[in-house]
Amino acid sequence: MDVLQAADDLRRRSLASYPRPLDRLIYLASMRDYNTGLYYHDGLASRYSPEVACEAMADCHREAFRQLVGNSLEELVQQLEAYMASTHTSPADFVTAWKGLEPYRVAIPVESDPLAAQLLFSSFRIALAILESRLHPQTAALTA
Amino acid sequence: MIQLVLFLTVGTTLLVLLASVVFRRRSEGGSVALLEARQALNALQGGLLPAELVARIFDRTDLEYVNRQRSSEVRELFLEERKRIALLWIGRVRKQITRLKSFHLGSARFYAGLNLRTELSLTLDFARLLFTCRMLEVFVQLRGPYAAPRIVGTTAATAAKVCSVSQESLAFLTPLYAARAVNGSARHTDF
Repeated sequence: MDVLQAADDLRRRSLASYPRPLDRLIYLASMRDYNTGLYYHDGLASRYSPEVACEAMADCHREAFRQLVGNSLEELVQQLEAYMASTHTSPADFVTAWKGLEPYRVAIPVESDPLAAQLLFSSFRIALAILESRLHPQTAALTA
Repeated sequence: MIQLVLFLTVGTTLLVLLASVVFRRRSEGGSVALLEARQALNALQGGLLPAELVARIFDRTDLEYVNRQRSSEVRELFLEERKRIALLWIGRVRKQITRLKSFHLGSARFYAGLNLRTELSLTLDFARLLFTCRMLEVFVQLRGPYAAPRIVGTTAATAAKVCSVSQESLAFLTPLYAARAVNGSARHTDF
């Protein structure tokens, strides 16, 4: 019950500023310790307990993952474009970094369904190719 | 006379020991089969068969969106990626269905009270499902992920039906039973 309340609290407060599933996925992944796999959120932990806060964040992370997997390719491209704009990085640098580092691979929740994860990674690769083709419209038109 | 009694006692003891070893192996083997069947069922129902996931993999609106991008490179990458994911899905469904089939052909009759008619219908469904999986694999391999949408639908529907019957067969497998079975197998493998 506490976990459900904490998750609801998280959605209403911290996650309210991240309307898109991709933004929520990245935000929640950033709140996770890479060494332990545990999520930390001081505000939520002080209102509930560190364990409850961790479980609530894991729930919201899984929810964001499910929503993103369920989105169409067009929606994913739109979200990636919006995220790219919010980082204030040049589109060319962003696409190069994301193609090379594939940061989305570490942004998914642990124990995600392997096929759903593969589908999402694959969609990210295609979305990045689409964004790249928009950076070089002449080349894209020539190959069309 | 004493020799005969001794001989019979030793013989009976050996028979009892042999029988206990045989029954123990069968029950432990059965536990493993049950757990494997449960895992296969979870993988199918939780990961592979949800309608949203199947729709996402084979959804043509993504292809239409990619076609609007007017880039042959992007189109090529998209078809290649979707084909890979589609083949991955088919392969995993087939693998889990094969595990469920092994359970039904082997251990299920010891635990589940399926009648002959259900068993026959299930056997036919398994055969049909494995055949359509193979057929779908060939279609996707040769003509891409959007080659056979009706076969995708049939495969998912038949797999869901088989899962539903298997779920009834495994309904008695509560978490407590599963934990005991795991402990039993662990003791067996430790040895």
